[in-house]
Amino acid sequence: MKPTNTDPKRWPVVPAAVALAGIIVFIFATYGPPASSSGFVTTLKGFFLEVAPKYAETNPHYSALPGPGSWLMGFVIGMAAGGFAAGITGGRKVRDVPEIWVRRFGKSRIKRYATTFAGGFLILFGARLAGGCTLGLFMSGSIQMALSGLLFGAVIFATAMLSARIVYGKTNGRKQ
Amino acid sequence: MTDVLLGILSGAAFGFVIQRVGATDPEEMALGHLMQDPRIPQFMLLAVLFSAIGLFSLQAAGGGNTLILPLTFGAILVGGVLFGIGWGMAGYCPGTCWAAVGEGRMDAVFALIGGLAGTAAFAHLHAWLIPAIHAPTNVGQLTLADLFGTPLVGLIVEAIFLLAAVWLIGKLWRHGESGAM
Repeated sequence: MKPTNTDPKRWPVVPAAVALAGIIVFIFATYGPPASSSGFVTTLKGFFLEVAPKYAETNPHYSALPGPGSWLMGFVIGMAAGGFAAGITGGRKVRDVPEIWVRRFGKSRIKRYATTFAGGFLILFGARLAGGCTLGLFMSGSIQMALSGLLFGAVIFATAMLSARIVYGKTNGRKQ
Repeated sequence: MTDVLLGILSGAAFGFVIQRVGATDPEEMALGHLMQDPRIPQFMLLAVLFSAIGLFSLQAAGGGNTLILPLTFGAILVGGVLFGIGWGMAGYCPGTCWAAVGEGRMDAVFALIGGLAGTAAFAHLHAWLIPAIHAPTNVGQLTLADLFGTPLVGLIVEAIFLLAAVWLIGKLWRHGESGAM
């Protein structure tokens, strides 16, 4: 069998994992608390502090979280900047609707955007309930050997594998 | 201000690496979930392994602050299942969608907006959900180090477990040759 990914612009797995680990250890050494991508929350807190300050101050979720102007906010803005820099220098075309999705549901952008919106909603709702996301709870947690992170990782991988199977159905990602 | 600059620097490096390995591409993520391509799940598990070794060394040298989140079964199971359903649907994580937006993916913009809506909805229900699901099943900030007595033994157990998972993914996923093992 030939490798599925012969794209020379994709970094190989092991060196990429070493590079990411270097960044994560740098974060542990400099920022202190483990990394997390739920900077969403800080932007929302900033929004509510503007339009409904009383709500933002009394809501237990917002009052427990750092506002804009925090490390978290910097991190997610940095993520977007890093994605941008890697994107423009990488020479790969991005698609608004992935190929695998087109094979199953067609080219409709509306369907794809509605699904990623709903998916994004569930991801963040679930992450806030569990206490963190892929990075904040699963990765950062497991790096500290936390049982919470390891359990969350097992649950999200198992559920996502099942969910993707239902979404992609019989095609199961294979090219026809 | 230093915090914000450190955050931007760390985030930019992070976003760059995950874009280059392909984790910001929902196609690659879906192929990982569908057991068609082992690269992304192997990448994530190996990044955890190498980081765990790095953090262990950092702590041995007296550095690094940690924050262990509590093992709270109800919240982690319910939250994890909701998260997993969404992850399978969208192919984005809360982090990768920021880098994917930077990369210019329009479907990631919608995942991000959906995420803002999901966070706002949760924050609104926080006062009700945390006492109902999170607090009663909280058994504390447990780690493998507590379970196995010392951090070193915990790390060795975790390393064996992660390497076994990486190897198994290489075996069971369809095109094992393209992965790490």
